[in-house]
Amino acid sequence: MQTDIVDIYEKAAVQMHPQKKEWLMKKTVNVLLVLVMVLCVGSVAFANGQQEADVDDGTILIGHTANNTGIDSYQTTHDKVYRDTIANTEGVEAIILDAKGDVAKQISQIETLIQKGVDAMTVWPVNGKAVVPAVKKAFDAGIPVIIVNSLIDESGYEYAVGFAGPNTYTEGENAAKGMIKALDGKGDVVELMGLPGYVTAINRSEGFQDYIKANAPGITILATEPTDWNRAKATQVMENLIVKYGDQIDGVYVADDNVGIGGLNALKEAGMAGDVVMTSACMFGEGYDAMEEGYIMGSVYQSPAEDARKAVETAIKAAKGEEVPFWNYFETPVVTPDNMKDFERPNF
Amino acid sequence: MIQKLVISLKKQPIWLILLGMIVLSSVFIPGFLSFGNFSNVLVQSAVDGMLALGMTFLMINGYFDLSVGTVMGFTAALAIGLQPYGLFVAVVVALLAGAVIGAINGFFVAKAKINAFIVTLGSFIGVRGLIYIYTGEQALVGDIMEFGMFGASSFLGLPTLFVIMFVLMLIAEFVLRKTPHGRYTYSIGGNIEASENAGIPVDRTIWLNFIICGLTAAAGGVLLASRLNAATPTLGWPDKNLMTIAVVVLGGTSLAGGYGNITRTLGGLFTFGVLYNILNLLGVQSYYNTLITGIVLILVVYIDAHIRKNKVSIG
Amino acid sequence: MQQAELMANPAEQRTTLMRRIAKATEKHGLIVAFFIVVAFFSIASENFLSPKNVMLVLRQVSILGTIAIGMTIVITVGHFDLSVGSLTSLTAVVVISMHDIVGPVPAMLIAILVGLISGAFIGYLVGYLRLNSLIITLGMLVGLQAIVLIYTGGKYTRIVAPDETWFGFIGRGFLFGVPLPVIILGVLLLIFSVILLKTVFGRQVFSVGGNPTASKFSGISDRKIIFTAFVISGFLTAIAGIIMGSRLMAAQNYLGQGYEFEVIAGVILGGVSLSGGEGNIFKAFIGILIIGILKNGFLLLGFPYYFQWVAQWVIVVGVVWLDVATKRGKVLG
Repeated sequence: MQTDIVDIYEKAAVQMHPQKKEWLMKKTVNVLLVLVMVLCVGSVAFANGQQEADVDDGTILIGHTANNTGIDSYQTTHDKVYRDTIANTEGVEAIILDAKGDVAKQISQIETLIQKGVDAMTVWPVNGKAVVPAVKKAFDAGIPVIIVNSLIDESGYEYAVGFAGPNTYTEGENAAKGMIKALDGKGDVVELMGLPGYVTAINRSEGFQDYIKANAPGITILATEPTDWNRAKATQVMENLIVKYGDQIDGVYVADDNVGIGGLNALKEAGMAGDVVMTSACMFGEGYDAMEEGYIMGSVYQSPAEDARKAVETAIKAAKGEEVPFWNYFETPVVTPDNMKDFERPNF
Repeated sequence: MIQKLVISLKKQPIWLILLGMIVLSSVFIPGFLSFGNFSNVLVQSAVDGMLALGMTFLMINGYFDLSVGTVMGFTAALAIGLQPYGLFVAVVVALLAGAVIGAINGFFVAKAKINAFIVTLGSFIGVRGLIYIYTGEQALVGDIMEFGMFGASSFLGLPTLFVIMFVLMLIAEFVLRKTPHGRYTYSIGGNIEASENAGIPVDRTIWLNFIICGLTAAAGGVLLASRLNAATPTLGWPDKNLMTIAVVVLGGTSLAGGYGNITRTLGGLFTFGVLYNILNLLGVQSYYNTLITGIVLILVVYIDAHIRKNKVSIG
Repeated sequence: MQQAELMANPAEQRTTLMRRIAKATEKHGLIVAFFIVVAFFSIASENFLSPKNVMLVLRQVSILGTIAIGMTIVITVGHFDLSVGSLTSLTAVVVISMHDIVGPVPAMLIAILVGLISGAFIGYLVGYLRLNSLIITLGMLVGLQAIVLIYTGGKYTRIVAPDETWFGFIGRGFLFGVPLPVIILGVLLLIFSVILLKTVFGRQVFSVGGNPTASKFSGISDRKIIFTAFVISGFLTAIAGIIMGSRLMAAQNYLGQGYEFEVIAGVILGGVSLSGGEGNIFKAFIGILIIGILKNGFLLLGFPYYFQWVAQWVIVVGVVWLDVATKRGKVLG
């Protein structure tokens, strides 16, 4: 059916006078060009309606550049709560950008936010070392920068007014403590890490490994494998590790519960779930259920909502010129099957 | 003169699209029409422009290189990590590394006659491994402050990085238009068998273009390193390669080879740069930001195809 | 080789089979390379050839293998489909989120419909409007990913009560000791081999990819063939997304990220020519299998992951080189 229509059209075009055909093509191109422009105007006008915060009427304008919204539920919830908090705070508006995991993009975004003349900026660094020059740029422009969720390199401390977020390195340490306790200080462990090269993944991995090395000589880390925060990949990697090490595996450390559930799928199929100790560096809703069922022995409670609220709160203070303490860690308590009733099931 | 300009604009409609975007955004977006913002767009385009430059050579030649993203990441790491041996050594080794990877790609494509897609996809993954081996999975920070300051400096009021890219583009356009290598590149991209029969050194030209592509990707890596004064293992991954090809196609260089030039690529580069800048200035939510990028890509080939047809009918 | 057995009539059966095997070893370095890779890993790791691990690898490659069938057809008609990774994510998310609302069967049908629509859209743009498939499907890769994120709002989706539905059987179940995803893949391989080798459509696919001008003169509508190829690719990717969803009983936004490259690499590794007109679904599957084996094997050997990537570079290029070199009988072209 379709073919016929197109063929008829083409035959008509061929029969057409050549000049007319040319004219038709030119027209089509012109129409398309206009279309693109109209699209541009449309999007611009649409977005312009949303953004009228530039006028200096006492509204505070906050800029935010996130790490990679949508890659996991934590970051998504963070983004959502960040937006809600801004919407519910009177006299505060925000430009919220997302670096999509690309540090070069993030630097461009910081430059754009400087250009926009925001009153304060929150940066969730894609990489703690590479954003330092951009943070310095903001500092030079007189814009207070608050680093959120993951720390930047020490060389950048002097250009930031503060840090608000969890201590992801400590989370790794806490998971290590849980592992040592559950294994009684000896055994063989495999690690499923996040996306290699990303600061949260690195911190959680190093916090775990450093603590194990320093405090539990009886525990060997057999393998550390990346999962890219991807559950399907976590399952595959765990399957392969089970083939390699089999019953030798006494414990599995996972960078977060999404990865953990992926690993657990493989353990369940091999009939090893429950016998193998699993500890996690960040608790998600499904991980809470798995702990209830006895599959996860230790985890860390980190609330993206609190993370986001702390970020906004600190940024508003800084924008108003108030003094803020440099360290604004929020609590990331350890959750075990014994004390889990004290915690609400995470909604992400 | 004006007529000539009109004709070349008609040939390269990307500039019209760009102009339209700039005019509209200047009217409607506060903060867009300012020197500071343009300077931002220029400096942000510098690195992508370097990658697109080498890719243009290859695509006119009828090939493409999927490894540019990780080559950029690897050479950025070298340019930072080798600074203890002096800046000169670091930069030279980084550029050499890019050229060597380009030469390896070129060897397999031009000499062993293996499909370019699989060859460069292989090095895309392999070089990613090299990055992690070299950096030990960590971000590296430069200790030569001047290098970072260079990345942030200006030349005649324009960002230095952009000026470097622009000068290299001028040279590249000259090479393409006026040298035998340029003519060979077009000829091979247009019809490889006819070129072979005409006695053009086909293998050597293809090989050389892969080296050029590796070299410019490395130059992009060095520029990026000076902009960050640091290098992370994730630079250039996962989609820098495809986006670079998209920039070149957006400019109007044909994927089939034999047709295109650097001026077009510059137009494609600016269009992407301005689009990205607009989306950021407006604070468009990132999911929609992504969606718009996808739609623009599809629209652009749609327009491009019609222009191509038009061009054929003009002769 | 299996398909020869099934399809040829009994009298010819033996000779066809023998001839094919002889041809394969003489002309196709791929098979040789495959056995070299297998031999290497089975010597280096005692676990590698254990039945359990073999089944594991087969199941691990079954999702990519399913997508690869469609990709082989698309590449055979002379095009690319870069959208498969994002489409896997989308269909997995759709089937999981719909499961608890409308039940397993309608959810699967909706996911397949999504795959068909995406395939038809690409097929229309590439086949009928003659647009460049690389950039169109790159646009779809980006666009579909955005649609996934908008659809889920960036959150994870999951089946609330995984134990109360039979849906998990597709991805997790076994039939006669063989994982169901592997059986599904096997059936699909057979069906599409028959289609490609024994039907008019199949002949037209090779003809359009191999010699577009000639096929036009012989009255084949290449538009229709290209369109159909992309629809098939969308359909099979949806099947892969369903298997993936059932395997995990949950879905996340970037589930299929990077699949397009793995699948294309595997298909080319299997000797499918990127210039079109040449393609064999079983060989494409062997290509995918080699990539799966590399991942599994290197992990069994205990290499750090980044060495695996470098090794993949060397081996993939090496295998293709061996394949190309044996075909033409010369090391350099």
